[in-house]
Amino acid sequence: MRSVADPLVRVVGLTKQYYGQSVLANVSFEIARGEVFGYIGPNGAGKTTTLKILAGLIRKFDGEVTVAGAHVLKDRAKAHALIGYLPQSAGFQNWRTVESALDTLGELSGVPADLRKRRIPELLERFGLSAARTKKVKELSGGMTQKVGLIQALLHEPELLVLDEPLEGLDPPGRRLLKDIIRERRHAGTTVLFSSHILSDVEDVADRVGILNAGKLATSGSLRELTASFGLPVEIDVELAVVPDPVPFASDRGVTVRGPNQWRVTVPDGGDADALIHSMIERTLAAGGKIRRIGTAEPDLDELFAQYILRPGAAA
Amino acid sequence: MSPTRILIRDELMGFAKSKVMLVMWVLLPLIAIAGYLVIPTDAILGGDTGPKLSATAFMGFLMSSLAGTVSALMVAVDIISEKNRKVYELFVIRPIRPDAIIWAKFVAVFTCVTIACVVSLTLGMTIDRIRGTQITGDMLYDAGKVVLALIGVIALSAGVGVLFGVLAKTILVAVILILYVGQNLAIIPMIPMYLGLLPRAFWIAMVISAVLTALLLWGSGRLFRRTEY
Repeated sequence: MRSVADPLVRVVGLTKQYYGQSVLANVSFEIARGEVFGYIGPNGAGKTTTLKILAGLIRKFDGEVTVAGAHVLKDRAKAHALIGYLPQSAGFQNWRTVESALDTLGELSGVPADLRKRRIPELLERFGLSAARTKKVKELSGGMTQKVGLIQALLHEPELLVLDEPLEGLDPPGRRLLKDIIRERRHAGTTVLFSSHILSDVEDVADRVGILNAGKLATSGSLRELTASFGLPVEIDVELAVVPDPVPFASDRGVTVRGPNQWRVTVPDGGDADALIHSMIERTLAAGGKIRRIGTAEPDLDELFAQYILRPGAAA
Repeated sequence: MSPTRILIRDELMGFAKSKVMLVMWVLLPLIAIAGYLVIPTDAILGGDTGPKLSATAFMGFLMSSLAGTVSALMVAVDIISEKNRKVYELFVIRPIRPDAIIWAKFVAVFTCVTIACVVSLTLGMTIDRIRGTQITGDMLYDAGKVVLALIGVIALSAGVGVLFGVLAKTILVAVILILYVGQNLAIIPMIPMYLGLLPRAFWIAMVISAVLTALLLWGSGRLFRRTEY
């Protein structure tokens, strides 16, 4: 396990079995304060089980799980006061209106009445649910119920947000809004742990990702770290505003022409992309050229996920 | 306000607004009284020369046969359906005692069904008064004992309902358990009264009901705290 500075979440040697069947096997990771950690993996990999253990919903497991040093079971009240949790499908009592459900859950989380009176309408407005305020939650669509679930997780402004498939069932504006909220919360210092199948969305907001496969943490790190550790090639895209003759890097290894003033350079495993970019800039400027744009086009999360999950022996 | 009080307040509100309570508080007493008034009194008890069954006694019989089963089923069905819809996940993750959730359910059902019994008995007494029966001190004492006995039955039955609600995974299993096992458990406090061997058998039955209810709630609480979601 790679240690992080000032970890809020520590998961060490987490192991869980159901009826003798291993669901999680020695999973360890840390999440730093203010970090957004995307937890991804195929169906049945153990993502929800991990998140439920962290939220204190599963009591029998081996290993140690702490939030801000508080053990999720032994210091339950302390740990729970820090967590805002959205389950995969949030359930509400049949008789509850949206407002009453949020008010009670906020009250139970210790949010004072005057703050609830201000914060609930604000969040309902933000999620486009103001008109549904007095409706019963059971009358809402799946996506709207998911939004109510998100609001209850945000209501007490927790230090740690644990979101199990939060983007599931949300329409594109809802997904964009949630991603904006995650970014805002990160900016405010909130730590976010969320699982998702929508890898492009994870890629958009996560500082680091953990890839879980068959109950084992296959890897974790930033996209750049994962790319490097798996040895995937990095591609450099360059576009010139003034094209010198000859183009100084045109005959380099791995260079392909993409347009009249655009090139792509494939840096093989182990190559130093940053050094190559530096050298290309220097040579182009020295030859009298001008650069409009230069940067790396790293593999996306879909590609990394496929490499980690689908490669032979990945599940072992 | 403490989390337990918040939960009790909310559960009371939830049950009070439910259709079942509308039936128990309004429709059932009205239907029962209508039935009592329609049926000829000599067809109910004793013929022309025998004792007449008062409306109060009629309502007492009716509620004693219904209150226990209704309270056990209400609380068990509610717990199981909320468990299956994952309602409790959002409560358990908050800094509260998990068992407070089921204690709140117990208090709400107990209170609501007790109110239903008091409403029915009061209606029965009102009908008797309108029909010319003088309400004596003895009658009020007996009615009070009926209410107390009903409270004992409701508490014990609701306790049984909580236990089976926590234990069973489906409503069908809970209903079967309540009808075949719970009903027999609810009879236990009445044994001293049936045997008639002990002095103050009524009060002993009340104490047994209270102790059994407390044990059921304590056991259910322990089980509920261990529940995984």
